[in-house]
Amino acid sequence: MTLSRITTKADLQDYLHAAMQLEHATIPPYLTALYSIHPGTNSDAFHVIRVVAVEEMLHLTLAANMLNAVGGEPDMTRAGFVPRYPAYLPDGEADFEVSLERFSPTAIGTFLKIERPAQAPSEEMRVLRRPKPRAAIPAVHPDGDDGLHFWSIGEFYAEIARGIQHLHDQGVDLFTGDPSRQVTPELYYSGGGEVIPVKDLASALAAVELISEQGEGLTGSIYDEEGELSHYFRFQQLTLGRYYQAGDVANSPTGPALEVDWDAVYPLLTNATITDFPAGSEVRAAAEAFNAGYAEFLSLVNQAFTGQPDLLIPAVGEMFALRDQVGRLVRNPAPGRPGVNAAPTFDMPETTR
Amino acid sequence: MPSSAPVDADTIYDAVIVGSGVSGSLVANELSKQGFHVLVLEAGPGEDQTIRGYEKYLSRFYEATSKDNNSPYPANPNASMPRSPAVHSLAAGQPDSSSYLVQNGPFPLDSTYTRTLGGTTMHWEGKALRMLPEDFETRSRYGQGLDWPISYDELAPHYRRAERELGVSADVQDQAELGIPFEPGYVFPMQGLPASYLDQAVAAGIDGTGVRLDGEDYHLKVRAFPQARNGIPNAAYDGGKGYVPVGAVSTHQVEQGERCQGNNNCVPLCPVQAKYHAGKTLAKALAGTVGKVDLRTQAVASRVHVDHVTGRVSHLEYKAYADPGSPEHTTHTVRARLFVLAANAVETPRLMLASGLPSSSALMGRNLMDHAYLLTWGLMPGPVGTMRGTVCTSGISDLRGGAFRHGQAAFAADIHNDGWGWAGGTPEVQVLDLVDSMNAFGPDLRRGAVDRISRQLLLAWMVELMPDPSNRITVDGRYKDALGNLKPVLSYNIADYTLAGVAQARSLSRRLFQRLGVEDHTDYRPTDVGYVSYQGEGYVIRGGNHWSGTHVMGTTPANSVVDADQRSWDHENLFLVGSGSMPSIGTSNTTLTLAALCLKSAEQMVRQLRDETSAVELATTTGSAQA
Repeated sequence: MTLSRITTKADLQDYLHAAMQLEHATIPPYLTALYSIHPGTNSDAFHVIRVVAVEEMLHLTLAANMLNAVGGEPDMTRAGFVPRYPAYLPDGEADFEVSLERFSPTAIGTFLKIERPAQAPSEEMRVLRRPKPRAAIPAVHPDGDDGLHFWSIGEFYAEIARGIQHLHDQGVDLFTGDPSRQVTPELYYSGGGEVIPVKDLASALAAVELISEQGEGLTGSIYDEEGELSHYFRFQQLTLGRYYQAGDVANSPTGPALEVDWDAVYPLLTNATITDFPAGSEVRAAAEAFNAGYAEFLSLVNQAFTGQPDLLIPAVGEMFALRDQVGRLVRNPAPGRPGVNAAPTFDMPETTR
Repeated sequence: MPSSAPVDADTIYDAVIVGSGVSGSLVANELSKQGFHVLVLEAGPGEDQTIRGYEKYLSRFYEATSKDNNSPYPANPNASMPRSPAVHSLAAGQPDSSSYLVQNGPFPLDSTYTRTLGGTTMHWEGKALRMLPEDFETRSRYGQGLDWPISYDELAPHYRRAERELGVSADVQDQAELGIPFEPGYVFPMQGLPASYLDQAVAAGIDGTGVRLDGEDYHLKVRAFPQARNGIPNAAYDGGKGYVPVGAVSTHQVEQGERCQGNNNCVPLCPVQAKYHAGKTLAKALAGTVGKVDLRTQAVASRVHVDHVTGRVSHLEYKAYADPGSPEHTTHTVRARLFVLAANAVETPRLMLASGLPSSSALMGRNLMDHAYLLTWGLMPGPVGTMRGTVCTSGISDLRGGAFRHGQAAFAADIHNDGWGWAGGTPEVQVLDLVDSMNAFGPDLRRGAVDRISRQLLLAWMVELMPDPSNRITVDGRYKDALGNLKPVLSYNIADYTLAGVAQARSLSRRLFQRLGVEDHTDYRPTDVGYVSYQGEGYVIRGGNHWSGTHVMGTTPANSVVDADQRSWDHENLFLVGSGSMPSIGTSNTTLTLAALCLKSAEQMVRQLRDETSAVELATTTGSAQA
């Protein structure tokens, strides 16, 4: 996706399409790591990853609300909406790729990059994390691509917030969408912040702020205004072996100790694709069934985002079914690959409609 | 965080609360919010303050062979609890003292409670019903039982607060139709739970059924029960402010315990903490910054000491143990201005009686009530998706009140989404029977299991029981637990008034099964625990875990143990709180009502603590001089 700075309502809609794609793109990697953990083990890690995955689903819903509010048409069934992994994130962060892989130090390393703070928490980290100098934020990618590339998801959303404010200041009639398309708190809630129906400037900016603060802690604090720990620091607890608690500063958690058992994990095939499993094998059938189920699920959620929000209720049951389908894959060996288990591939048909 | 370190003997707490269940947690939270320093003593362990600890309960439940109400909680001889597998039929005149709860008979009661952090709300099902206004005055209206010293209207504001604290999902219109008044415009914090497919199938068959009782006509309607379980928040709640559901208790931030997922094992433990448990309130109390709440787990209150000059409680003794597997313990003393016993309707009178404090009314431990449950079960004509949803979403509540209560007990029925489990027909039993008796395997076994389980219907008929002074908890020097504390001794029988309701329920069940085309598999055998004969027919009656009445509230020190604020008539700085204070329980699960009572009592405690400061310190000094 190529993005330039937001100067028109159409630009804003493009960004919000990208936002939905971006939020969704983090979910398959998180779920793969989550379900690779042996059931009943690694409680601390399981819950840390689960929290983040659930909040990405909230962010996806918030992005859909924003897109609907400004008269856009969410489409999660279009070709390419689900990336083929390994993948660069759709906001243009070009210094790392995201893989579908088991819970491991490598996976958590990637998750930390996904959720990295908008502005590095210290000058030292800024240097460590940026292998070569970049242009001013938002940066132009050094390879000559004329699209915008963001250092972090936080900066991507900062541009959306700037764009919304800018268009509003220009007198553009932004909030022309059908209010009945909004997903409301009755239909969606999670402990980490309520879904915000978007209907005007204030609610749109509140939605952007919620996403940014939950993910990356835009303000530079490890906690957001609601006292919730941001995703980056949640993951960091797994590498530091200790929980943060109120009053802590970045990189120095002082809460209860946290235990990680990196071995209590199914040895999943990294970035598996459907052709990694022999045609006719049970694993292949299970992988295809999962992909078909996931495509149907996206289609159901898309219907919820395009006029039938009540469909989010039955969608919850479908999520349980998907979890069970993943279970069938990760607990079984990949045929012809000793010591390696099958994994969900998230290969989508060209169009799922 | 819970601690088992002994309390500082020099500290004088504002209040000491015995028990960390729903009553104790609510009181602790209320007092702490008003700035008081509170100590909570919990007899059991406190491993569930973290998600990891809670998950230990869950794995213990998954691995247990018996899935009874207390299966998730570790066996603990130092703070033992009743368990279903330990209840046996009784021989006339021979008490059964083989387990913690000594059964003196004549009726063996299979009811439990849980001694762990959070108490019995860990295993409770979560139904949160208000009592009917007429339930508060059964003596004056129907010549049965006891009147309350307060009316429904006086309790109503506290019901509202309890519904907020417990997070109740219900439809107000549905409840109002039962004759329960609500303030104009009131809605519950969350919308009513959606009916299960089984509920809908039953409703399609029986809605509108007419029942004639004592010359009056009633019409049945399947409706969802109010439940303390996270559902869809009601945007209209609190004048349009809405309601934010409370999730899982944890020392770190987790997104767990949100909307009910229908895991179908609410009893004995909700896997995701969508169901309210007292740990949610206790966590708030412990995190509070206005007052201060200290918590000691593995600390069993063993004696209440009274200053015989002032009549006030001077101090409390408790036994602390480090290892549930060993009876080794140390004994400690704790002092406070106010003492609150919130140990439940068995343990609270047990502690008082063991302390030689039978109440000047002599009613301590008496008037024990529970609900009598009659199960009827059968197979629906086609698959109805049994085993989906909460343990129970809906039922029949239309016969909870009426003039027929002059002569027989009121009753209600639960439609169980978990099939025949309570009657002993769990999916495991079904599968074993298919394998052992039907020689089924492979696809036949799979189809057979689905066919048997997905058609199961079980109705649990809750029949009311009136207070009777001879139904009671006592203690007896012959029966002691591992720490040397006296065990509770239960004497219990079921009166004809209740049995008449049981018979009526059985007869109505037959009619409803006919209407539904249900194949009746109900089977009561004389060898079953809880078998009784009434007017030539046999029934098996089970307990409901709704222990109550044992420190009954009333209008005078002669007719009751506590006053309308649950304050002891004998000891002005002692409150006995919980369902033990209830003079009647109607056909209402007791938790919401006892929660409302505790919130009401906490207001009185606050007034008392504020008014009495100087006098209390004087009394405490007197007490310690005598100790």
